[in-house]
Amino acid sequence: MTNDQAGGAAPPDEYVEAEIQRLLTEDPAVAEQGITVIRREDALVLYGEVESPHRREEILRRVSERFPDVSITSDIGVIRAQAPTEIEQLP
Amino acid sequence: MVIRIAAVGDVHLDEDVVGRFRPALEELPECADVLLLAGDLTRHGTEAEARCVAQEFGGLAVPVVTVLGNHDHQCDQVPQVVKVLEDAGITVLEGDGVVLDCAGGRLGIAGVKGFGGGFAGRCASDFGEPEMKAFVRTTNESADRLGAALRSLDCDMLVALTHYSPVPDTLVGEPLEIYPFLGSYQLGQAIDSAPTALAVHGHAHAGTERGTTPGGVRVRNVAHPVIKQAYSVFHVGDQLDTDQVSPIGGSGSQRSWS
Ligand SMILES: [Fe+2]
Ligand SMILES: [Fe+2]
Repeated sequence: MTNDQAGGAAPPDEYVEAEIQRLLTEDPAVAEQGITVIRREDALVLYGEVESPHRREEILRRVSERFPDVSITSDIGVIRAQAPTEIEQLP
Repeated sequence: MVIRIAAVGDVHLDEDVVGRFRPALEELPECADVLLLAGDLTRHGTEAEARCVAQEFGGLAVPVVTVLGNHDHQCDQVPQVVKVLEDAGITVLEGDGVVLDCAGGRLGIAGVKGFGGGFAGRCASDFGEPEMKAFVRTTNESADRLGAALRSLDCDMLVALTHYSPVPDTLVGEPLEIYPFLGSYQLGQAIDSAPTALAVHGHAHAGTERGTTPGGVRVRNVAHPVIKQAYSVFHVGDQLDTDQVSPIGGSGSQRSWS
């Protein structure tokens, strides 16, 4: 992605990424520290793992709401919570 | 002597997660003597979220021992959070320890949240502005309290429980630039000051499961996004059935950065 959205007034991408990263942690509706923002050709992609489908949807909603001009997609997973099938032996 | 330890961190509970862990937790008595929680139990550290933790992790058939994480401090309701957890029978450690009688012997657990600061050669120093000194003193005091707690316990096996990491090994996968916010070498030094058998931590969601302190103590990052299961189970002891000695995934040591 380049600085061409909304003409010359748009902030440089690095600042947008920094703001998104902080929003992910500081927005009480998100409060996630484990989400990474990766720049792809024409969009920013959010990666990471969260505890519920609701949180995954909320993250994309909040970020898109705050940055309506930035193309954002999400590839966030919901962490499995099944019992382990193996144990680790530590002699 | 074998003691069976289940552990998970960073479950970040709120109403939307309640019930997800419970089916796996009900199986605990069959595979573990104790469940350790490595902090970040909640999203924002509210009393309401703590009640979700109490509901999910309370009333289990094995003892539950926890430390708090940075998220559990977010809303400045630590005393209320601790009370809700303790009322649910969960032991909350912060600079102290507990000894549990297990079938395999007396298990001593010393716990502290810990703090950032960084690792040997790449860490913050107690120097300069008051804010910087306050940061590093928080790191040092936390580690000192962990060391003292570890050395004070009378037990057959000693485990250290923290939220922040004592080693960089288990941070592999995280950006190098944020290592100083993920842990400190002082925690490792505290762990090495006692005959610790295992150190368990969370906080590094993108980190790696296995590491070792400079003194040779095994370290495990049990953050839920790292282990991707309800909890991990470790059988710690010196008389294991040799047929059973096979680490998960067969990747015994995974130390690509140290
Ligand atoms: Fe966390
Ligand atoms: Fe954390």
